[in-house]
Amino acid sequence: MSTPAWDEFAELALKRIAKSGAEYGDIRIQDSSTEQIEGEDRRIASVRDVKDIGFGVRVLYHGAWGFAASSILSLEEVPRVADLAVEIAKGSASVALEKVRLASEPVHRDRVVTPCRIDPFSVPLEKKTDLVLNTMDVLQRQSGVARSSASLWARRDKTLFVSSEGSRLEFDLLAGQGECTATALYEGRFASRSFSTPYLRKGYELIEEADFSREASRVADQALEKVKAPAVDAGQYDLVLDPEHLSLTIHESCGHPSELDRALGYEANYAGTSFLTTETRGNFRYGSRQVNLIADNTEAETLAATGYDDDGVACQRWDIVRHGIFVGYCTSRETAPKIGESRSCGSNRADGWGNIPIVRIANIGLEPGEATRDQLIADVKRGIYIEGHGSYSIDQRRYNFQFGGDAFWLIENGRRTHMLRDVIYHGITPEFWSSCDGVADRSFRRRYGFITCGKGQPGQSGWMTHAAAPARFRRIQVIRGEGDS
Amino acid sequence: MTVLSGTWPKMTGSDEFRFLSELVLTRSSADHTIISLRDHHAGTTRFANNQVIQNVDVRRGSLAVTVAFGGRHGTASTTDFTAGAIQDTLARAEQIARISPVDPEYLPPPDPCTFPVRETASPETMAAGPAKRLEYANEAIGHCRMENIMAAGVVSSSATAVGIAADTGLFGYERRTDARFSLTVQAGDATGWSAAAHRSIDHLKVQERTLVAIAKSKRGRDAYELPAGRYSVILEPAAVAGLWAWLIRSLDAKSYMKKTSPFADKLGQAIVDKRLTLRNAPDHADLLGEAFTHEGLPSTDSVWIDQGILKQLAYDRFTAKAGGVNTIPTLEAPVLSIEGASAHSIQDLIKSTERGILVTNFWYIRPVNSRDLMLTGMTRDGTFLVEKGEIVSAVKNFRFHESPLLAFQRLSAWTTPMEAVNSETAKMLVPAMALPQFHFSSVTRF
Repeated sequence: MSTPAWDEFAELALKRIAKSGAEYGDIRIQDSSTEQIEGEDRRIASVRDVKDIGFGVRVLYHGAWGFAASSILSLEEVPRVADLAVEIAKGSASVALEKVRLASEPVHRDRVVTPCRIDPFSVPLEKKTDLVLNTMDVLQRQSGVARSSASLWARRDKTLFVSSEGSRLEFDLLAGQGECTATALYEGRFASRSFSTPYLRKGYELIEEADFSREASRVADQALEKVKAPAVDAGQYDLVLDPEHLSLTIHESCGHPSELDRALGYEANYAGTSFLTTETRGNFRYGSRQVNLIADNTEAETLAATGYDDDGVACQRWDIVRHGIFVGYCTSRETAPKIGESRSCGSNRADGWGNIPIVRIANIGLEPGEATRDQLIADVKRGIYIEGHGSYSIDQRRYNFQFGGDAFWLIENGRRTHMLRDVIYHGITPEFWSSCDGVADRSFRRRYGFITCGKGQPGQSGWMTHAAAPARFRRIQVIRGEGDS
Repeated sequence: MTVLSGTWPKMTGSDEFRFLSELVLTRSSADHTIISLRDHHAGTTRFANNQVIQNVDVRRGSLAVTVAFGGRHGTASTTDFTAGAIQDTLARAEQIARISPVDPEYLPPPDPCTFPVRETASPETMAAGPAKRLEYANEAIGHCRMENIMAAGVVSSSATAVGIAADTGLFGYERRTDARFSLTVQAGDATGWSAAAHRSIDHLKVQERTLVAIAKSKRGRDAYELPAGRYSVILEPAAVAGLWAWLIRSLDAKSYMKKTSPFADKLGQAIVDKRLTLRNAPDHADLLGEAFTHEGLPSTDSVWIDQGILKQLAYDRFTAKAGGVNTIPTLEAPVLSIEGASAHSIQDLIKSTERGILVTNFWYIRPVNSRDLMLTGMTRDGTFLVEKGEIVSAVKNFRFHESPLLAFQRLSAWTTPMEAVNSETAKMLVPAMALPQFHFSSVTRF
């Protein structure tokens, strides 16, 4: 965990902040290790071991923020950076119109550790490179597969957060993931099919529990089937979406619009704003009654379940959409009071020591319903079953979206039949979720996550998990994703 | 004003990088060793709702060491520049390399060469700090407050020391600066946007670009809905750059060789209108040219598309060697130009349009189909109907569904190349263009 020197650095920074007359300050010291093994076309293309150590100091002075950070952890650099953060905050305060007021939060003194059976950094490298090579071998055993890739990723973040309010939080958090992709060629066309474990806060058991050999064989077969499959005919279809696919749909069309900073205009110049404006909370019909979207940053193993966010707020569970009505935002200590909330829900996160925390999507998931997956499909006359992630794009207020997928099967008269290719569907978010008339039960619930959610200027990567069971959507417009569509 | 106005703390210099490199090279037991430096000092002032919401300053130094024993290689990096940490980084890289499988595509580091000397660091950006950034932010906010409309944007500046060294004697060191301004103006439901990027913070033209964004937002009020369909369009430079960025990203030579590229079998053939030429111009004062790449190769002038014909691909060193390509071209400073008489300005393009859609920018462009480079994305921050040579109304934003390989087969009119950058593309010089039959596949609600 953190070293005694880290506490000394924290004390030094907070003393400088207190002396400045600032009303609030905190310091995050972080030591991150990342191991990335990447295989391409039956070779190990790179093995990278990245160590990233530094600290960031955040200061609220007369209602305005300043932040400074450095990768030099020393008794000389910490006070320089703390002073710089104070001076920057004073500059911000000199032009402030509305002063930042932080929602209150109890003082926390805690230590959060990711439970893990097998430390990924203790697993011999040969074992991991063998897995990557063997996976690519299986992928390319299928004739017709022209290219293959496989990768393993693991990250450990050791962090000390200390605030001027007295909170002291230590973190030792792990996350991991593995994936593979086959690309098949047929009559001048190419198509890819992938398998990915979820990104989860687990040890190397996450990788061992996934049967990469079986999954590689499956996706290789399906890549070939996909490239040979007929292109979809444009038109209206009922869609049954699998949990991995839904994780992206939820992320883009529910996650981002429920970020309160977007609704308040903070992201207007980059990621955009939100159609879920503050007056819609509690009365806007976002989806059908079957649609319940819950934020849960307390579920073990999920990416946003870190115990506390980077405001030092304890992780929580709350409703975003209840029976189809939009009811809740993802908030921070700064933004929560702006909509009359007395407490932040704990969704303020930075992607490392070098960035200031911003509001981030929580672990938003679709609550399971009561059907089985087969029952959802059985009630479809003409539809498409979609798995995995493909093309995606959405407007800056999160109304108009367009998604592809990784694999598509035609549903005819209640039966999943053959694969299709080049399926793209589009819609308007509340109309789309209002067309949801069934969600499979909890036994079909799966969790998928993202570590590359881009937001903020300078850009930061957000981490969160979206859980779902398969869900059915009626009469969705589908187009063919190629030139003559 | 109380904000510190001084420069950043001293960044790693050439001699210091040489010292650090020697520290690694003399201790390395590997057959080959490469050291890469990136010492980045950056600050951003971010504003929204006419006030500063974020004001940050960050220093991040990182040193990466790649070593190889035969064809086995490994890379480790650190942000800690103390001698012990650097030795530990070398040890970690060696440990990885010793037990990694042989990579059949591994190549030793490049031989030493004389890199071009370029004006990549502007003294005014090196000297700029929080005070300068705040001054520019206030300038933009002030104009918007006077108009009673809302400003959101950023002013950022950075200075980076970049270095590369290897046991072959290869050594390169360069300081690079980067300054950016972007602004989204909200006038009720309407938005207007403008952006700039330059080596020099003094070339951001904050006032001029603020006024452009304000004018667009004011014109954007009362947008009405046109049906999806094919329209003549006038694409402003940022919109053109958004489409070309994806074309450029798809020029990977290995994908080409493996026939998983939209350009398969098209090298030497026309891929766009024969009047279009794409080249790399690293010495252009308004572009972000560099002396060398992260692999330690010199950046040079090169022609990628010559009068519509695909001439170059983006090579990694192994694919270049396998393909007999001796000089690997770079494309960090793209200039897209069009042969023939051009319009003087975007306004001239508008004047010569009977009916069409003027697009300020595209947003969230993503590939729909990698085979034909079909892309989708949304118009953003200023979409207007032009009739009989005039902007007559704002229109609700469209989703497009187009391949640049089709869209840029048919040019109606164009300007000379202009500076273009947006939140999703690197800086380029591209013309504004009028294109017929551009495919808008759906409409959004604003």
